[in-house]
Amino acid sequence: MADVGDRMFCHACGGVWLRDVQGLICPHCESDFTEIIEIPPDPDAEPPSPSPSSAHQPPARSPNPWADHDPWAHQEDDDLGHGWGDASGGRRGSGSGSRTGNGNGNGDGTGFTHRTYRSPDGRFTFSTTTYTHGFGGRSPPARQPTDPMMPMVQGLDSIFHGLASTYRQQNRPPTSVPSSNPTPDRDRGRTLGSFEFDLDAEGRTPGSQDAGLHPRDADGPQPVNNPLRTLSESSILELFRSDFGTNTQTGGGVRVMTGPNPLAMLSTLLNFDRHGDAVYSQEELDRVISQLIEQNATRGAPPPAPPIAIQSLPKKKVDKEMLGSEGRAECSICMDAVELGTEVTVLPCKHWFHYGCIELWLNQHNTCPHCRRSIDQ
Amino acid sequence: MGSQKRIAKELAELVESPPDGILVKLADESNLYLWKVYMEGPEGSPYHNGKFLLNLSLPTEYPFKPPTVSFKTKIYHPNVTNDDKGSMCLGMLRADEWKPSSRIHAVLEFARQLLAEPMPDDAIEGRIAEQYKNDRKRYDEVAKEWTRKYAVESS
Repeated sequence: MADVGDRMFCHACGGVWLRDVQGLICPHCESDFTEIIEIPPDPDAEPPSPSPSSAHQPPARSPNPWADHDPWAHQEDDDLGHGWGDASGGRRGSGSGSRTGNGNGNGDGTGFTHRTYRSPDGRFTFSTTTYTHGFGGRSPPARQPTDPMMPMVQGLDSIFHGLASTYRQQNRPPTSVPSSNPTPDRDRGRTLGSFEFDLDAEGRTPGSQDAGLHPRDADGPQPVNNPLRTLSESSILELFRSDFGTNTQTGGGVRVMTGPNPLAMLSTLLNFDRHGDAVYSQEELDRVISQLIEQNATRGAPPPAPPIAIQSLPKKKVDKEMLGSEGRAECSICMDAVELGTEVTVLPCKHWFHYGCIELWLNQHNTCPHCRRSIDQ
Repeated sequence: MGSQKRIAKELAELVESPPDGILVKLADESNLYLWKVYMEGPEGSPYHNGKFLLNLSLPTEYPFKPPTVSFKTKIYHPNVTNDDKGSMCLGMLRADEWKPSSRIHAVLEFARQLLAEPMPDDAIEGRIAEQYKNDRKRYDEVAKEWTRKYAVESS
């Protein structure tokens, strides 16, 4: 059995890594608010010894499906069929198998999809129950719930749904899997986020790279799968993550948590020092905002002039009088000499400039660049 | 670009007829926005005989945004930060006081004037300002010592 080190989960940034490799501190955000995710030894993992007729078995099979287990990997997986498509391909390349999808997920992708895969010759069949939800890490803003509690409620709802359907399935005979090799224990342990195979006499379990899914060996005795194990490792943490994902809003680089969020409160309790610029309370938010105001304020600087006021300033051709006694003058913004007959814009204080020059300044401040008199009067 | 034209013009004027005790040149010939300024300590001040290097940096929005001035040579002065940045606190360079008709010529003259007459009420180094106001003798000593130590070329 491949040695699987403990995995670590960072409650601050949601990162996941191997404890053996990078230790207890989050390598992504250097937070120490991390959790060791214990992966129980999986008796399902050991495949039965291959039979002699298994020459076409994929060689690069991972002996332990947990080795590649990543509870969140399926967030990156748009295609729900992707994982088991691979499995069938690796199995014997019988991609012609019929795929029946009777997903009961609702329109926005929340819910459960139950799919059954059957090879054309009926020799093997497997089915999946995929737990999906519509508020994963990448949910588009359009779907953002207005109530900050919504993701939490939806998530719990989905979990209870899942438990209910798991037990429903456990308590009734399988209908969608007419396998040629009846397996006495197939009623057991169809769990949330896991799938099982009904295999023929060559019975092996193809290694699965798919997250949250692990193969079962139908030939050997199986322990009852505890649905909560899968739940606790993917759904709940995922729920927290999704809560992060939907409740954060980005503005000026400041991440703000809105609404009551138990993880956020916990985080506040445990993180006396700030991480980056993520804040979790109104007080902290206020502090960050006033800091930004201080940084950006051009304190006391005059406000911009309205565009209409700028456009309606009188224009005039430069005459001899304006050139003064020296007979030459310049626009004091661009410092270019102004010749007789050039059109300039005159401010109420009688100072004049090129229109292009004074427009740029008035767009920032409504005062004369010379004498600071406001152009409003 | 308008700003480049104006900057080039101001630079030409400053090189042609430099203000007293001030010498300017570009830090890099290809970059109009970063200037090197050599400033002699004004006579009658503890900075006399010192030669201070300043960096003058112009924003791309110049002249609509003010330039920034910093001392590269260490200086003991109430209006210059006592760190490796050497930022200078000049009222006319503050965003709310800057006006585009101000010229770099005026900025540099103002900076040199500040060496002759520090403005302790507008100080950035409060401790030096206190000393300047309450113990001028000691301030003069330290400023002279620093000038000798950092601003006089060893010859």
